[in-house]
Amino acid sequence: MNKNVGIGFRKDFAEEFLSSDILDPAFVELAPENWMGIGGYWKKIIKQLSEKHSITSHGLSLSIGSPEPLDWDFLINVKAFIKEYDIQIYSEHLSFSKCDNAHLYDLLPIPFREDTIKHVANRIKEVQDFLEMKIAIENVSYYTPVAAEMSELEFINTIINEADCNLLLDVNNVFVNAFNHQYNAKEFIKGLPLDKVSYIHMAGHEQVEPDLIIDTHGEDIIPPVFDLFDYTTQRVQPVPVLLERDFNIPALHHMQSEINELEKIANNHWNKKHATSKRYISTAV
Amino acid sequence: MQLQKDTYRQQSDLAKYCRTNILDDTLKVRHDRVHHYRRLVYNVVNDSLISAYPLLNNLLSETEWASLVNDFFATHSCQSTQVWKMPGEFYNYIKSTDLSLKSDYPHLTDLIYFEWIEVEMFMMEDIEYPLFKTEGDWENDQIAVNPEHKILQLNFPVHFKNSKSITKEDKGEYFLLVYREKETGKVQFTDISAMYGLLIENIVNGLTLHEILLALKSTSKFENTDQVVAQIIPFFNALQKKGFLPGFI
Repeated sequence: MNKNVGIGFRKDFAEEFLSSDILDPAFVELAPENWMGIGGYWKKIIKQLSEKHSITSHGLSLSIGSPEPLDWDFLINVKAFIKEYDIQIYSEHLSFSKCDNAHLYDLLPIPFREDTIKHVANRIKEVQDFLEMKIAIENVSYYTPVAAEMSELEFINTIINEADCNLLLDVNNVFVNAFNHQYNAKEFIKGLPLDKVSYIHMAGHEQVEPDLIIDTHGEDIIPPVFDLFDYTTQRVQPVPVLLERDFNIPALHHMQSEINELEKIANNHWNKKHATSKRYISTAV
Repeated sequence: MQLQKDTYRQQSDLAKYCRTNILDDTLKVRHDRVHHYRRLVYNVVNDSLISAYPLLNNLLSETEWASLVNDFFATHSCQSTQVWKMPGEFYNYIKSTDLSLKSDYPHLTDLIYFEWIEVEMFMMEDIEYPLFKTEGDWENDQIAVNPEHKILQLNFPVHFKNSKSITKEDKGEYFLLVYREKETGKVQFTDISAMYGLLIENIVNGLTLHEILLALKSTSKFENTDQVVAQIIPFFNALQKKGFLPGFI
């Protein structure tokens, strides 16, 4: 069976993960912001991790949707981090987390508008040029649209096409948004530029109101999201798949069983294509 | 920037709302749901600060803590892209802001400094050690020092006395040696006298113990340097065992 599914690395399970074989991911994903420019204990852990596993990276602070200029000092550090750990994937969120020169440390929705499309697409191009690699942009979960003038689907499609970047398809986010904004998740996925999907994220969520789900990454993946993943894998090329578990972290063998479930689904559709975790992730501009 | 004024305004108002909890009616969002963004953003900031400052959080009442965090996040523009560094901005905010809490808790700034240093030193980038040998003469050889250290001068004994029982009467001069262990990465604190603080600073500057004592003798601070050496050597031996003075250059 090919290995496609990685795990988002968390300090909570670092020691047990590195000292045992309970969790056996295809790769490990790091948020550069949490690990760059550090030393001491955690630097040693990351070094050990990178000696044992392929690393992908998923950023939090680029704030690609910010109204203000890109943070070049930050990007210099990201580029160095990518080089240091031989990282082939750098992805970020289609959102903003900084405005009026202040970081907010969470992902806010960008207005679905023509002017933000131009603005964001240009910024993605600048980042890709600087990093000398294509980046993957993630469809984010959102709880309210902000001053929207078009659909989310049109917004994502146009940005991915104009920026000529890859799409990180977060299947759970599609499920969450479809529930919160009452659309059909499968139709939505069918409408995305699926040939641009280079990475998939899978996670759990929490329903907090009768008509609202929050994307917590703190619960197990539920069966309808596994179904949506099954639907997705039939329509995209084999790509790395990530299990995200950021809160309420269960025992490692429990997360491995979720990885196994994802592998089983992925291999049902992808095994004839001989996917490997590293084969699809290197895409120089 | 290619954004229209209104688009920028919408983003700015949403960000402002997340920072201040004040919602502008012109923000075109679902007003029954937007509060989740304020909650999520605030929780990240609050949780990071509680994690970095457990002693301060324990010292303040819930209302005092919430008010402090709210004011910080609403008025200070966080600059760090790395969330673990944001509590360092909180420390600088408290240090440089005129807060009534400082009258109620005169040791507030010292306490938050003490707590921040531990986070900062635990996380900071590695500093290369000098080349050293393990055998040598404490008095006449140049001594190698763990470069990952700081000497703190505090006005209140926040490092050994319960913060809730510290009063104005505790005000004084306290020195603390803080260093990161090379092998474990743990941050260690050692209470030291002012003289030992001065001694370590001079050793870091490359002077031998003999040279330091000669300089002190010339200022008439010490008459009997042999007696001083006899006190210092056991202290140095202990610091060598702890890895702070790993050897000799």
